Amino acid sequence: MHSLNRRVFLGTAAAALSAPAILKAQSDAIKLGSLTPLTGVGGTYGPSMRDAISGVIAQVNEAGGVLGREITLVSEDTQTSPEAAVRAARKLIDVDGVSAIMGTWASSITTAVAPLAWESQTMLLCVSGADSITQLPHQGFICRTQPNSKLQIRVAGDFMVEEGATQMAWIGPQTPFAASSIEILEEIAAANGAGMESLIYEADKSTYRSEVDQILVNNPDFLMLGGYAADSTVLLRDIWQSGYEGKIIGPAYAVNQTVLDALPPEVTENVFTWEGAPAIDSGAYANVQAILGVEDVDPYSAQTYDHASLAILAMAAGGDVTGDTIRQNIRAVSQGEGQMVESAVDGLAGLEGGINYSGASGPCDFDEIGDITGTSFVFKQISGAAAAEFKRV
Amino acid sequence: MELLPQLLVNGIISGTLLAIPAIGFTAIFAVLRFPNFSVASHATIGAFAGYAANVWLGLPAAPALIAAFLVAALVGLASDEIALKPLRPYGALTAAIASIALTIVLENMVRFGFGNELRGYDLPLVRDWRIAGVRVGPQQVQNLVLALIIMAAVFAALKFTRIGKAMRAVADNPTLAELKGIDPVRVGRLTVFIAMGLVGAGGMLLGLGTSIDPLTGFRFILPIFAAAVVGGLGSIPGAALGAMVVGIGEELSVLVLSPSYKSAVGFVAIVLVLAFRPRGLLGERAY
Repeated sequence: MHSLNRRVFLGTAAAALSAPAILKAQSDAIKLGSLTPLTGVGGTYGPSMRDAISGVIAQVNEAGGVLGREITLVSEDTQTSPEAAVRAARKLIDVDGVSAIMGTWASSITTAVAPLAWESQTMLLCVSGADSITQLPHQGFICRTQPNSKLQIRVAGDFMVEEGATQMAWIGPQTPFAASSIEILEEIAAANGAGMESLIYEADKSTYRSEVDQILVNNPDFLMLGGYAADSTVLLRDIWQSGYEGKIIGPAYAVNQTVLDALPPEVTENVFTWEGAPAIDSGAYANVQAILGVEDVDPYSAQTYDHASLAILAMAAGGDVTGDTIRQNIRAVSQGEGQMVESAVDGLAGLEGGINYSGASGPCDFDEIGDITGTSFVFKQISGAAAAEFKRV
Repeated sequence: MELLPQLLVNGIISGTLLAIPAIGFTAIFAVLRFPNFSVASHATIGAFAGYAANVWLGLPAAPALIAAFLVAALVGLASDEIALKPLRPYGALTAAIASIALTIVLENMVRFGFGNELRGYDLPLVRDWRIAGVRVGPQQVQNLVLALIIMAAVFAALKFTRIGKAMRAVADNPTLAELKGIDPVRVGRLTVFIAMGLVGAGGMLLGLGTSIDPLTGFRFILPIFAAAVVGGLGSIPGAALGAMVVGIGEELSVLVLSPSYKSAVGFVAIVLVLAFRPRGLLGERAY
């Protein structure tokens, strides 16, 4: 009885799954995939990241498409979980046959999805920072618009020293960038005669009281948080309750607005955050503002706008619609000789004479392993549960 | 080593809070003879019911705790009748597996209703007190007192009330209890109601000091299970003792292990007890 039911179910499921493949054969549209965190801790960013991509695609379709074909967007949800992301990526690759997957957020997720991408020759454009990602044997199928974690930590570590840190500390969960973050801060601390302590804790605990007691033993005066939103909420509360009076800095994706809303304002008062700064004075940034209908574009939506623009321009430059075409031509459009363009539509028009795409997240130039070069950063300070710009570097 | 008194205090507090859901878990095992892993989602449901009472209705912590108890108890009773009871005749393993499925379903129902965001209770946040170099939060002390009151009530009920005696009788020897005119089905229902209520209240107590999300209960399933096994599955004082062992053990482990291995303490406790004293520290007697 049970196995019969299961068989019927599997049969129906298989039929349902194969239906899009049949549709695909009939339609002539080019498929691009968006794989963003629509739910989970990244859920604050995912929907607008996807909307930025679909905005670019809508503009290109309106201007006549690319290579004479329309583009359709297939959007999936990572749930901010590597295993859900892998399932979704499988579907994008095997069922939809997308040529690029754009917008993977959180390093653990990009790391999990990456092998599927390069094995199927699908281009993966991500917003994750762990150094290990671009060191994978990806054969060029990965590019990222997010500065790598080494650069991010170095910039923040220098900031801590400038703001007068004499005893630094790093506390965070086990992530692909925990060890390298600690190493870099130790270097910076040593070079500036400051002390440095670190503690790696277990993610997903409901309290970190003992961890906080331990990291505060040597009286640090500047703490860096290394986790994501869920554990940072718990940690910030525990740190405040402990009576710690020193400075705190955390990545903007960890100390984000949901965290500020979930905690009483006094807990987050004066906490610093930092993130890669979008190119707010660029035409591309204005275009994303128009697409999303917001004044402040978060850095990830600015990056996915660039992902979509670059993927489309690379296909147009290579004259084909495969992931491999994007891989081979992405640098020709992102840092080529020629006219500077800030949108996919302008790029398509000027492609003949050569273009150099400069996007909403920055100049969008990639080195040989797919890391972004030349990013600027913005530091913010929290006051009354809202982040206000402190300085740019 | 200067941290030792502080870690002990942290451990005693977290152990006491852990004891409440562990007692619920072990009570169900004592009477119905299967490990009900859906305590994870019931702890979450209790935490969210308490959140709704506290934030939406503006109730203080203690009345919100009663709401957490009642909602988790009713959901526990209903889900047991629908999903687990029909499967119990097929054996403890079947029921245990069904309870894992149940917990996934319930967790996602919470997610569907409340979303994935973190939520904090509407309680005044105050800095910790420092007493002789050891810090302790006023909220923690309140949680501790509430947990102790709940535990005292459970022990008193088991010892002095007819229902409590009937539960102990069924746990000790169901056949004999039935011969004496105790209806095991009724006692089973009552046990599930009270136990899931305790789990719900425990979920809220554990969430009070932090933030809650649909995974709140799931994070505690390993320590809860470890506490029950260490104390002796089915023994209620054992669950309380086991919770202290696991709670204090987890906090003290920070002295010798990287905190990223904290959860390993629960596993190690289970392995040690199963290897050297399979019946648990206090054996199997329900009371």
